Amino acid sequence: MQANVGAVASTLAQEARAHRDARHDRLFGWLLKGCALLVLACLLGAAGATLWGGRHAFGTFGWHFLVSSTWDPSSDTYGALVPVYGTIVTSLIALLIAVPVSFGIALYLSEVAPPWLRTPVSSAIELLAGIPSIIYGMWGLFIFAPFFADHIKPWLTNYLGDKPDDGKLSWVAAHVPFVGKLFGSDYPFGASILTAGIVLAVMIIPFISSVMREVFQTVPSRLKESAYALGSSTWEVSWDIVLPYTRSAVIGGIFLGLGRALGETMAVTFVLGNAMQLSASILDPGASIASTIANQFSEAAGLQKSTLMALAFLLFVVTFFVLLIARWMLRQLAHKEGR
Amino acid sequence: MTEPAAAGIHPQSAAMSAPIAPTKIKVRDLHFYYNGFHALKGINMDIPEKKVTAIIGPSGCGKSTLLRIFNRIYAIYPKLEAKGEIVLDGENILDSGYSMNRLRSKVGMVFQKPVPFPMTIFENVAYGIRHHEKLSRADMDIRVEQALRSAALWDEVKDKLKQSALGLSGGQQQRLCIARGIALKPEVLLLDEPTSALDPIATGRIEQLVEELKSQYTIVIVTHNMQQAARCSDLTAFMYLGELIEFDRTEQIFTKPSKKQTEDYITGRFG
Amino acid sequence: MAANSFIYTRRRITNIVALALSMVATLIGLVFLAWILWETLRQGIGALDLKLFTKITAYGEDGGLLNAMVGSLIVNLIGIAIATPIGVLAGTWLAEYASGTKLGESIRFLNDILLSAPSIVLGLFVYTIVVLPTTALTDGSTTFSGWAGGVALALIALPVIVRTSDEMLRLVPSTLREAALSLGIPQWKLTMQILIRAARSGIITGVLLALARISGETAPLLFTAFGNNYLTFNPSDKMSSLPQVIYQYANDPGDGMHAIAWAGAFVVTMFVLLLSLASRLVLSRNKVSHD
Repeated sequence: MQANVGAVASTLAQEARAHRDARHDRLFGWLLKGCALLVLACLLGAAGATLWGGRHAFGTFGWHFLVSSTWDPSSDTYGALVPVYGTIVTSLIALLIAVPVSFGIALYLSEVAPPWLRTPVSSAIELLAGIPSIIYGMWGLFIFAPFFADHIKPWLTNYLGDKPDDGKLSWVAAHVPFVGKLFGSDYPFGASILTAGIVLAVMIIPFISSVMREVFQTVPSRLKESAYALGSSTWEVSWDIVLPYTRSAVIGGIFLGLGRALGETMAVTFVLGNAMQLSASILDPGASIASTIANQFSEAAGLQKSTLMALAFLLFVVTFFVLLIARWMLRQLAHKEGR
Repeated sequence: MTEPAAAGIHPQSAAMSAPIAPTKIKVRDLHFYYNGFHALKGINMDIPEKKVTAIIGPSGCGKSTLLRIFNRIYAIYPKLEAKGEIVLDGENILDSGYSMNRLRSKVGMVFQKPVPFPMTIFENVAYGIRHHEKLSRADMDIRVEQALRSAALWDEVKDKLKQSALGLSGGQQQRLCIARGIALKPEVLLLDEPTSALDPIATGRIEQLVEELKSQYTIVIVTHNMQQAARCSDLTAFMYLGELIEFDRTEQIFTKPSKKQTEDYITGRFG
Repeated sequence: MAANSFIYTRRRITNIVALALSMVATLIGLVFLAWILWETLRQGIGALDLKLFTKITAYGEDGGLLNAMVGSLIVNLIGIAIATPIGVLAGTWLAEYASGTKLGESIRFLNDILLSAPSIVLGLFVYTIVVLPTTALTDGSTTFSGWAGGVALALIALPVIVRTSDEMLRLVPSTLREAALSLGIPQWKLTMQILIRAARSGIITGVLLALARISGETAPLLFTAFGNNYLTFNPSDKMSSLPQVIYQYANDPGDGMHAIAWAGAFVVTMFVLLLSLASRLVLSRNKVSHD
């Protein structure tokens, strides 16, 4: 072991470098952690800012805010019921349409379609997710809503509604309770809660179907093969084996779609009609939280502005929990896979 | 320089016929745990200076684990714990005060799969040097050339030093990794199954390189290939289930192993 | 026997009907895609005109979209410039420093929630933390600005970049880390100079996807960048953007305005689709070179 001066000096230099590296590593770690904590800060900040902005509205109206359908800027009285109702109903309609369609698409792409067709078709469906929501809005406003008013709505009001154009109440409207009210409308335009629900459905189909398709592919093939070996049909394997196996993730995907639908602004604002009134009919125009904010915030002041902030807070909290459930459900499958 | 082999402490080295060189790395009662699993159970061995020591054994026997303690690379993962002593040049590298920086500039490592950095060939070698020493451009060029020459790669890459290292063949990449390791002028070189991902020709070149490098470096090589151990090592250690079964001169191990398990493994009865 | 064959037939019919319905569902999806794209192309190309690129929105029906395009570009760039470094570093922390820790797992989880959080609420958040405080410094005029719009878009781009960086870095083989650390390279150098470089194409993909995502965003810009009928390059001014002008024009009763809105919609759609195509190309090209 030589202990000459050069070796000592180089050892000292090495120690100094080691110290410097350790210090830099520590600083770097803090910097990175700080950036990651910003994600947390965004979520807390969004909730905090809207709660703070909405404090006047919450303070003025109290719990009554949630159940009141009044929206009267002239007397500065606001209730959240109309936009909350519109948000929930449009999203539910969207789910009602999007879930079976997405399941069909996922089933087709993972079990039915010939292999050469799968990639192009799934890319096409994913393309739907890439289209900006404002384009959905344009298309909804100028193309789909008029189409809906001309071709779908008259049929619905005449066969299902209680206010038919031709004056003859259909059998369904006369005999099945509620349906008549649900589809009764004398509003002549295409913008309605149902229209918004359909546009939202088209928007969330790619999200739900891609989650479903992904999780369907995680089903171990031995499971499917053993079911096929017992003589099960493709449909039976999908319904009895694949779906139960992936249930939690499928629900997660649906909630993910719901989260999107609840918070969507532009596509809905264009086709909802923006009427601050409560109507039993889904063919009447309505309002959602996001559309109300988009329409009114720029011109609002005082209590109205605070009310819009309060609505934003409600929306944020609800979507947060819906998305929380979605991600949690999706993780269940990831864990199962990991094992 | 070598401690007399006291049978009670390290029975394995007691079996060794005679020390063939001064000891470089002295392992004493080394235990290793991951997630509570007892992976190494009281290893004792003296690794001689400037010789090639091969570690063989069936997969899962702990041979790679042992190698990865010599430069403490295991420490980057949580829940791993080494107990005991590894004395390198008179200092215990497992001491928390022992600088990782110093250890890793003294002990180089080459991995199973070649892992060139996503940089040019030149930068791959210069990158490590630059962190440890400040060199002028000209000095750096010389250092890089030296390292590439020692790794028997210079003639193949001298015209494309500025090209990405990812474009080299597997065998060339592995020699680049060796060049990168020896560019730091380490004293010990750890090779973790360095040829398992290579074809026979590339493997031959690496083995030849090991033969050339041992005049300057203490080399420890982990291999699953017994012929490789027989061909290019001076000493061979046989490990089984986390224990060092036998450690002796290579020809001794392969011709007259003293333990039944070693003989079974070498004659291919298991593993 | 008869009952058996009845069950068998019923099962077969159920199967055929179900599979046929799955095909119908797929067709429904494709029809809507084709319908939306077709109308955007048809109406958009019909309304394309040189004045869109040379005139500003102040002229209304006789004007163009120049200021909106410039505004979109500036606000998007601000958003990406803010979100990229923060997002990449945060993603690096998740992948390299915090894997397996409780805080890391929760932030990864919350980031996924932020990914689909309602953008209009994020717009209101930025309104509260950027527009309101700066307004308080003036004589009362609201300080909507390109900066505020950029920050709002950054919040939307951030989770996309965090997630892709995290995922791409986790794909980098751990042997690369070991190789660098065994040379005595410190963690920060390893991360910045080797790992991020190794995951480069994946991270670029993430940034392109984030850019595609924010290029079509409207809601968060309404209360931040607001809009501006005149051409400006100064982000301290109010700024217009394509989606915001589309929104405004589509709600206008004039047909000429609608035509311009369609042309804008066409430009935005093409830009977004090209970006997502480019991001796929970057990823696939790199995959080939890695093998």
